[in-house]
Amino acid sequence: MSLFLQLTLTGLTNGAIYALIALGVVIIYKSSGVINFAQGAFLLVGAYVTYWVVGQVGAPWPVGVLATVVVAALLGILVERLALRPLIGEPIISVIMVTIGLSSLIAAIISLIWGTQSQPFPSFIPNQNITIFGAVTPADRLYALVLCGVFLLGFILFFRFTSEGIAMRAVADDQQAAMSMGISIQRIFAVAWAIAAVVAAVAGILVANIVGVSSDVSRIGLQVFPVVILGGLDSIPGAIVGGAVIGLLQAYTGGYIGGGTEQVIPFIILVIVLMVKPYGLFGQTRIERV
Amino acid sequence: MESGIFQTTYQKDMALRRTPAQFIRLGVLLAFVLVFPFFADNYWLTLANQIGIAAVGAIGLNILVGYTGQISLGQGAFLGVGAYATGILVKQMGAPWPLAVVAACFITALVGMLFGIPALRLKGLYLAIATLAAQEIIEWVIIHSPDLTGGVEAMVIPAPTLFGQRINSDFRFYWVILVCLILTIILTTNLFRTRTGRAFIAIRDQDIAASVMGVNLFRYKLLAFAVSSFFVGLAGALTAEYRTIISWERFTLDTSILYLAMIIIGGLGSVTGAVMGAAFMTLLPAMLQLLGRTAGGFMPNILQQIPFLQQAFFGLVIILFLVFEPEGLARMWRNIKDYFRLWPFSY
Amino acid sequence: MFRRLTVWWIVAVALALLTAACSSAPATPAAPAQAPAAQQPTQAPAAQQTAAPKTEAAKATEPAKAAAAAPAAGKATGEPIKIGGIFDLTGATGDVGTPYAKGVQHYVEWKNNNGGINGRPIQLIGQDYGYKVPNAEQLYSQYTTQDKVLAIQGWGTADTEALRPKISEDKIPYMSASYSINLANPKETPYNFLVGTTYSEQLQAAMQWMLQDWKAKGKTGVPKIAYLHSNSGFGLSPLDDGDKFATSNGMEKGLRIPMLAATADMTAQLTQAQQYGADYIFIQNTSGAGATALKAAKSLGMLPKVQVVCLNWCTDDLTVKLAGEAAEGLVGASPFAFPDSSAAGMKDMAEFAKSKGTTIEAEGLHYAQGWTTMAVMAEGLKRALDAGKPLSGENLKTALETMKDFDTGGVTTKLTFTPDDHRGSKALRLYQVKGGKWTPMTDYIQTNLSIAK
Repeated sequence: MSLFLQLTLTGLTNGAIYALIALGVVIIYKSSGVINFAQGAFLLVGAYVTYWVVGQVGAPWPVGVLATVVVAALLGILVERLALRPLIGEPIISVIMVTIGLSSLIAAIISLIWGTQSQPFPSFIPNQNITIFGAVTPADRLYALVLCGVFLLGFILFFRFTSEGIAMRAVADDQQAAMSMGISIQRIFAVAWAIAAVVAAVAGILVANIVGVSSDVSRIGLQVFPVVILGGLDSIPGAIVGGAVIGLLQAYTGGYIGGGTEQVIPFIILVIVLMVKPYGLFGQTRIERV
Repeated sequence: MESGIFQTTYQKDMALRRTPAQFIRLGVLLAFVLVFPFFADNYWLTLANQIGIAAVGAIGLNILVGYTGQISLGQGAFLGVGAYATGILVKQMGAPWPLAVVAACFITALVGMLFGIPALRLKGLYLAIATLAAQEIIEWVIIHSPDLTGGVEAMVIPAPTLFGQRINSDFRFYWVILVCLILTIILTTNLFRTRTGRAFIAIRDQDIAASVMGVNLFRYKLLAFAVSSFFVGLAGALTAEYRTIISWERFTLDTSILYLAMIIIGGLGSVTGAVMGAAFMTLLPAMLQLLGRTAGGFMPNILQQIPFLQQAFFGLVIILFLVFEPEGLARMWRNIKDYFRLWPFSY
Repeated sequence: MFRRLTVWWIVAVALALLTAACSSAPATPAAPAQAPAAQQPTQAPAAQQTAAPKTEAAKATEPAKAAAAAPAAGKATGEPIKIGGIFDLTGATGDVGTPYAKGVQHYVEWKNNNGGINGRPIQLIGQDYGYKVPNAEQLYSQYTTQDKVLAIQGWGTADTEALRPKISEDKIPYMSASYSINLANPKETPYNFLVGTTYSEQLQAAMQWMLQDWKAKGKTGVPKIAYLHSNSGFGLSPLDDGDKFATSNGMEKGLRIPMLAATADMTAQLTQAQQYGADYIFIQNTSGAGATALKAAKSLGMLPKVQVVCLNWCTDDLTVKLAGEAAEGLVGASPFAFPDSSAAGMKDMAEFAKSKGTTIEAEGLHYAQGWTTMAVMAEGLKRALDAGKPLSGENLKTALETMKDFDTGGVTTKLTFTPDDHRGSKALRLYQVKGGKWTPMTDYIQTNLSIAK
């Protein structure tokens, strides 16, 4: 029983990190219909900028986190403006490939600056163990869980009460109608990319705190696709639930079956979901099928 | 097509090459390809062989992505299926290698068809993600079947022999690759003059309309996956025979992305484009390395940065092509030809 | 028009970023050890012109220091001896591969400054292969067909094992940093030489210690073991021999838990070991992965009840640095001495490292390992030249096989190669982390596992 509890806790906390990464993908997809393969690279940016400001320059950690948020937001806007905007109206493969190209470019620039050697992450996140019903988890995982909740709440409020959020929903619903209402679509896209980059950068800090600062941080970015497909590409609660489900499944298969099955399970789920319920658990059913 | 050229029979109108200029270009190219290995040193021969294999794979992928409009991120895995099928047939079952290569093509075609099934329900983004799953699953299976594939450890096969000669040098393998590449080009170019090929294009342009016109989507989508995977399997089998060391690390998602970059930079839906893209994406990192080494004399720091510079340029080139010339090298080549043909009245 | 402008924007920004990246790289203080300038001209004719021994460029940057490090014999000037290098600087094992490559590189420079091999300089043609078998294979064929190297310094297990048939056919003496027992038998792999003690023997020696430790703790019965291993040829290499030892001592076979690079967190994998009830966990992986596992083990409260043991690639200071407190009490098996062990063989190394603006303590154990491996190859070259035969792969192999009780100055025990056994070292030492520092726990333990299949 205690194994079950332990695995559940591990799965949920890892799932929270998946959910954070997935949130960014969902927000971009929701507003602009683009799926971002560069999410893993944004994680790297978060990890390395914080590492640089806190670990190398020696600034206090709130400054580091703030700097990371600002850099990520700027990067998001820059990416949207320089690479994505010229591709509006191009086929889907072009859009996918441009985000892949971006991811390669960002990762390479980070390697050029900092190399690929793994570095210890500056420890400002308290890391003592916390025991819940006999299951142990380091405190930093719980922060991911809490942060996930905060972001979820924040986004729900954002989309419900702020004019920016409402405008985003309008754009997602019908771009032409939104435009005729005086909403600047370009601005909305930029905001969506900035938010996605910031959320990913924060997730990057959490991941780097667990695995250390290295190029491995971006690999977790690939796990995000099973999560978003399961939850529905355009659903924020879906991202959270999807993250939790995938995290739990990986923990259970890793703990009970082992032998590397935890690596392939998410993708098998992905295929099944795509075949049975392509729009995911909470996604809007508007997939055109042939 | 150029203006001012008139055909008087349907046969001539259907011909692949219709103007003297086209025949001259083809002749020059063939002469170059045949003479090249006698003058090139080992470095260029190796590059040529890499380009040849990549071109076969890129043409295969282009059939699926460029002509039929089905995005695939599973190219790397399908190459792996071809390579491992060859390896297993040669090593575990002792099949002669030419037979193994042909069998590997068919096996890959079957596997491709299996993973093409989701395409019957999905398209666009969703299909891309489904093929991403195919990539990860196939890779996982390869790694986790150590008895069959050697698992994480590489599989080593003996160098192929032909007419009693071991084909273990770049010079000798060049001819094997050249024959395969020419066959692939001829078969593919002709494919798009048949009903099947035109059905593929119809599906790409407007699937519902194609279906209304009597194209059986189920059948032709699966067929596109099969035909494409057949050639990809050939590229994989050639890789196995050429390298004689088969390692899963050659067939990861990065490989899928590399091949997609080849056909995007070369030109979607163009056989010439696929070949040009394969050449470009093989030469780009090699030339960067050369340049880095030349610069290394006075900038010693640049040497250790080469792998990252290659990665950065890989990304940059993709972005620049997509933003600047989405139709790729094939289009640029056409523009150049037009410029000279119309000179001095080009606009 | 707008479209065009955008493109120019991208180009400008990218170029600015890249220039910034390149120029800021050397200035960043705590930046990862600037990878050794291991890449050297290798393939093309144009590059060959710059192929003058690496020392040229390096010395130009620090003429005064380099001169200080080159006292007696002076610079070697004869016809260079070409050695290929397949290093991992950026791949999965780049954390330990970088200092190793630097050690090899620095030895060559040092040797060339000190008269080379009988007056002939060594020309090291080295490049990163990212721990990928295909890249290693590509580099290998480039070195053998294009550069015509005499011998190769290699790295990983999977790639070296995959290259076995080619190495034997091409007669290229090959020393890799992989101590897989599959490379030790000259009947199967006549041109592979191992400087370190094989992984299999490291594991068995560590298990031998485990049995004593188990008794010393006053426990009865037999301990249960788990292997946390890199999911690669390297990780799998010693496990079968470990299981043999376990079963012949009445234990169960060890539980194999592959460490996957993609998992951010190893809690789930360690839970498996916990559930299995492992008393000892053996890690066959490099420092980065080892440290992540240690941290997860600590957070699960498994330490110190469960004893974790590292084989040689995570027995280093990097593991301790990355894992912090979680490394306390960790046991490590290593055939190589630590840089602070005041072994005589470290002296040249330390001086040369200082002249390059670094220290052997900062570079760590794997630097000494790379240096020593290259020194052994250089000794073989010298013996081959002294024998008065032309330099060839076969003659170098024969020369290496005459090496008996070669003194590495205490970096390893004395090395011996024979025509029947290509394991240079058959001894290793166990260390333990105490107070954040590796301290010797045993004296050198002799091992001798049969290499015949």
